[in-house]
Amino acid sequence: MTGFQAPNVEWLTLSPLLVVFLAAVVGVLVEAFVPRAQRYAVQVGLSLAAMVGTLVASLVVFARLSPTADEAELGRVVAAGAVAADGPAVFTWVLLSVLGLLSVMLFAERKVESGVLTFAGQAAALPGTEAEREASTRGLSHTEVFPLMLFAIGGMMLFPASNDLLTMFVALEVLSLPLYLLCGLARRRRLLSQEAAMKYFLLGAFSSGFFVYGLALVYGYAGSMGFAQIAAAVSADTGSRALLLGGIGLMSVGLLFKVGAAPFHAWTPDVYQGAPTAVTAFMAAATKVAAFGAMLRLFYVAFGGNRDDWLPMVWAVAILTMVVGSVLAISQTDVKRMLAYSSIAHAGFLLTGFLGIRSLDEVAPGGLTGVSAVLFYLTTYGFTTMAAFAVVSIVRDAGGETTHLARWQGLGKESPLVAGVFAFLLLAMAGIPLTSGFTGKWAVFAAATAAGAWPVVVVAVLMSAVAAYFYVRVIVLMFFAEPVGDGPSVAVPSALTTVVIAVGTLVTLVLGIVPGALIELLGNVGVFIR
Amino acid sequence: MISTAIDVLTAEGGGMPPLVEPGAAGSLALPLVLVIALPALGAAVLLLGGRRTDAWGHLLGTATVVGSFVCSLWLFLGILGRPEDERQITQSLWTWFSAGEWTVDLGLLYDPLSALFLLLITGVGALIHVYSIGYMEHDVRRRRFFAYLNLFVAAMLVLVLSSDYVGVFLGWEGVGLASYLLIGFWQHKPSAAAAAKKAFVINRVGDIGLSLGVGLIFFTFHTTSFDEVSALTSEASAGVMTAIGLLLLLAACGKSAQFPLQSWLLDAMEGPTPVSALIHAATMVTAGVYLIVRSQFVFEYTDAARTAVAVIGTITLLMGAWIGCAKDDIKKTLAGSTMSQIGYMVLAAGLGVAGYAYAIFHLVAHGAFKANMFLGAGSVMHGTNDDVDMRHYGALQKAMPVTFITFAMGYLAIIGFPGFSGFWSKDRIIETALAENLVLGLCALLGAGVTGFYMTRLMLMTFFGEKRWEDDVHPHESPKVMTIPLIVLAALSVFGGIMIAGDWIKKFLAPVTGEGEAHHLPVSPLVISLVVTVVVAIGVAVAWMLFGRREIPREAPTDVSPFTRAGRHDLYGDAINDVLVVGPSKQLTAGLATFDRAVVDGGAMGTASAIGGLSAVARRVQNGFVRSYALALLGGAALVLLALVAVSFA
Amino acid sequence: MSETPFLVLSAILFTIGAVGVLTRRNAIVVFMCVELMLNAGNLALITFARTTGTLDGQIAAFFVMVVAAAEVVVGLAIIMTIFRTRRSASVDDASLLKY
Repeated sequence: MTGFQAPNVEWLTLSPLLVVFLAAVVGVLVEAFVPRAQRYAVQVGLSLAAMVGTLVASLVVFARLSPTADEAELGRVVAAGAVAADGPAVFTWVLLSVLGLLSVMLFAERKVESGVLTFAGQAAALPGTEAEREASTRGLSHTEVFPLMLFAIGGMMLFPASNDLLTMFVALEVLSLPLYLLCGLARRRRLLSQEAAMKYFLLGAFSSGFFVYGLALVYGYAGSMGFAQIAAAVSADTGSRALLLGGIGLMSVGLLFKVGAAPFHAWTPDVYQGAPTAVTAFMAAATKVAAFGAMLRLFYVAFGGNRDDWLPMVWAVAILTMVVGSVLAISQTDVKRMLAYSSIAHAGFLLTGFLGIRSLDEVAPGGLTGVSAVLFYLTTYGFTTMAAFAVVSIVRDAGGETTHLARWQGLGKESPLVAGVFAFLLLAMAGIPLTSGFTGKWAVFAAATAAGAWPVVVVAVLMSAVAAYFYVRVIVLMFFAEPVGDGPSVAVPSALTTVVIAVGTLVTLVLGIVPGALIELLGNVGVFIR
Repeated sequence: MISTAIDVLTAEGGGMPPLVEPGAAGSLALPLVLVIALPALGAAVLLLGGRRTDAWGHLLGTATVVGSFVCSLWLFLGILGRPEDERQITQSLWTWFSAGEWTVDLGLLYDPLSALFLLLITGVGALIHVYSIGYMEHDVRRRRFFAYLNLFVAAMLVLVLSSDYVGVFLGWEGVGLASYLLIGFWQHKPSAAAAAKKAFVINRVGDIGLSLGVGLIFFTFHTTSFDEVSALTSEASAGVMTAIGLLLLLAACGKSAQFPLQSWLLDAMEGPTPVSALIHAATMVTAGVYLIVRSQFVFEYTDAARTAVAVIGTITLLMGAWIGCAKDDIKKTLAGSTMSQIGYMVLAAGLGVAGYAYAIFHLVAHGAFKANMFLGAGSVMHGTNDDVDMRHYGALQKAMPVTFITFAMGYLAIIGFPGFSGFWSKDRIIETALAENLVLGLCALLGAGVTGFYMTRLMLMTFFGEKRWEDDVHPHESPKVMTIPLIVLAALSVFGGIMIAGDWIKKFLAPVTGEGEAHHLPVSPLVISLVVTVVVAIGVAVAWMLFGRREIPREAPTDVSPFTRAGRHDLYGDAINDVLVVGPSKQLTAGLATFDRAVVDGGAMGTASAIGGLSAVARRVQNGFVRSYALALLGGAALVLLALVAVSFA
Repeated sequence: MSETPFLVLSAILFTIGAVGVLTRRNAIVVFMCVELMLNAGNLALITFARTTGTLDGQIAAFFVMVVAAAEVVVGLAIIMTIFRTRRSASVDDASLLKY
């Protein structure tokens, strides 16, 4: 019996995660001990500081990424093999910190609701009761949303960096559980919000049931939770194929559910519509980044050896997802719901890039791999969609946000600037050149084509054309239709939301015109270590 | 290098098409960048400046395009002074993408082909800007109009100056967007919004062709720049080249309103008339022809795709002419004629090396005379309270003498009156077509006769005969700012043929299009010209018998021949769409109450509404019950497992 | 002793859980069925820990339990709020969001 050996923890490399989790825990304490009047200021300040801190820490880690023994790989495995701090992982950390920072700003917006958060004043109070009215008149706000969000971001950052099955599962739950709660906390339309929370929770729990069982099967196959060991077992092809395939299938259900791929997409429209818009923006941008990062790592690292087994399945899912998202978006009448279907279609495009898996020797040095293409697309899509939902959150009337498309008619007359920005973001989602949507699509299509998945790319091109139709329909509605009744009105937001919209739009534009630098950067870091 | 390539080529009588091998731009880099930057800057200032720029916005918009024209001239004279093999220049702007084996340099390529397009776009564009100052004078959104026009010019210049297919795609989408904004410019008219939507949807179909075509080029050659692709095409397999050619043809069909994607052009006449003149006659609709001629290094290796190009062009030239015969709306008649004339260009491009130069010759000549006639039509409408029905005109030659004379120049040019520009350009196409393929040539000849017929009909109904306008209409000549562009364009219509003197245009374009040994007809070209002229004269005479000597009723007669009726209905293009696609999908959706609640109709056109119908049905699956979603999830899981097992053990 | 019966039992538990999610209307019961699925996963983990002779599976089972407990907290909170608002815990009643 040897004595206890303390594991070696690489504090600096893990600092981005630690900062977020620490801030989240402090946030819970703030809720308990800071007087109500100061909570908003303290929580927002803490969250902003945490996000800036983690951004700086992530950048430091990113800058210090050093080659492993194998020249092609950057980064190292830390925390006793649980976390892989390699190029793609640290890149998602940076990306998630920025998106998280923007989300904090959206969450903290108070001006559009005349001085209170857009979250429920008191979630426990029943809608339409005296208690709720009182909470509303006293200007109560649930500042718990900030620590909840920090926990979710922590989980998201851990998710794509996790280097074994167990860490991945824990990260999945850490990111999901706060999101379930956040979905149910809308100030307006409480019934829809609560319903969204319940649906998301039940289906999310259901899908993590699949994930756990799949995890168990893979563990049974490989005899280890670590991705490196699983990869070794897959290459050696020892053990029962049935266990491996069952494990891959069930785990992919859990992951495909999170990214919102068909036929596991059914929660997306309902939850996106019902959840508070700030939360929707956060989910749409950040969850996709985290889930795709994790999916890339799991499939490329652990199951890369038998990719011929699972690639056809992903082909089918990608095609189905693009078709479902694009076609169903056409008949939507609610702008949030339409953006939700659009996010399903984008999940399909991302899966197309995911198909660009090739062995290292097939890729030219600095070439566009599936990993770098998907990460690039995630960057472009994350900023665009966050800005789009931020715009949705400021188009309001006396009853709150006006998300029905009929109420968006003639927005171009009411506020040309807001309508113009939204039109630009929609064009970006449609993939019109000189926007990041175009360059992103080209990156994933090129990666997929290079790996031989051209039939999927053909479908993707066709579906982009279909998708362009419904994006442009909204633009037509805003600019070429007369307002109905009072018409829509645009609440003047505080600097917080303005910054979010401005940054999102700017990134969309810049990545559309000069994407070269980022693609090159991703080309250089886009290799997973194991 | 290029000249030696051509020597080899002429010696062997065909063979390698010329490669794209541009030199550095050197001293011409400045005008090359300015030519695009000026209108782009104009659009940006006008769009972002808002109402502050209302007072002088139109002047700025015009000035930028005039400046752009000056740069084009500078460039043109710059390369004219160079030896033939140094006339291709390139200027790299920035690297758009760079990822290992795949790099897209956003660069500009200026060669004789771009040179002619530049002169056409900026020259005609500048005149139309000037004209619009008068035409849009009373429109409250005039500044916005000029902003969109500038945007269009910039995008069109990107299209013809890019050195890379991705850059062409960028311009292609840009002109599509500008065209869409301008067709729907008078947004208070529901018909304008519908037309804009239709143009957008149909153009997307063409865009799919371009996306897939460029994708296939990248997939095959691992590059999308013209110079590299042109060097590699000789090694690719014929099947791939045919596929690329057909996809590019699909793209050209969408943008250039060729069969079967032609129907949007007629509706696009809802836009303001200067737009019709600039975008839907002179420049944007010819982008398809540009694409085909530019991609000659693709089409030279695929006879199948080239034949398809020629056949599509022929079908469209006949359809357009037919539609032109039956319309009473002056702009739609001209639109039918545009379709028809672009059909000639596409036909010529489909004839290969023998025809490329003539396609471009006709394109440039047509750009001038058709813009002239559209602007003339606009001037007529300006003087008659924006009436477009030719049955309400008559005897306008006295009321609007300048418009009449300039329009007449355009008329003589388009029917191919000897000596006018259209005579030279169309004649060459018919002659080449007859030599290459007798059937296509005869169709083109027939088309020339029909052109003579419908254009004469238009002239007679508009400018001659009895006056048929209402009493409260007081036709008057347009202001100078509108007539001066007309006069300039009329002069071009008359003298445009000078480009063919000594086969100048053919030699000028040779570094791009190549020179091949053309087939020769057994008869002399003079005989062909004579035959064409006679056929045209017959068309004109028939029109004179039908419309010149008889009174024209103010209301369109209903007891017309089936041919006329078909023509009036755009040859049932929409009806066919309706029967095949819209009908069934409507049935599908009829019983669904939710569809009625939809804010906007799922779509007016074929596929669009079919998908809309599918969408309305499919969304019922999303029934709101969480247990159904769970079932879908479980079913999906089962399918995923099945797929994995099936693939693994298959 | 063979491990197969344990795996079969865990598969049966998983199936019962999945079917329960699909057939039961009460949100609490649906949620209990999900917990059953997680426990089926736990049983499989422990069995495989035995077959492969490693400890990872047993440790993982503890983690899954902790996560399940956290899930209960969140889940009950959500179901309670919706029950108080609607006076119903039936998952079929909450179907305002659709199409």
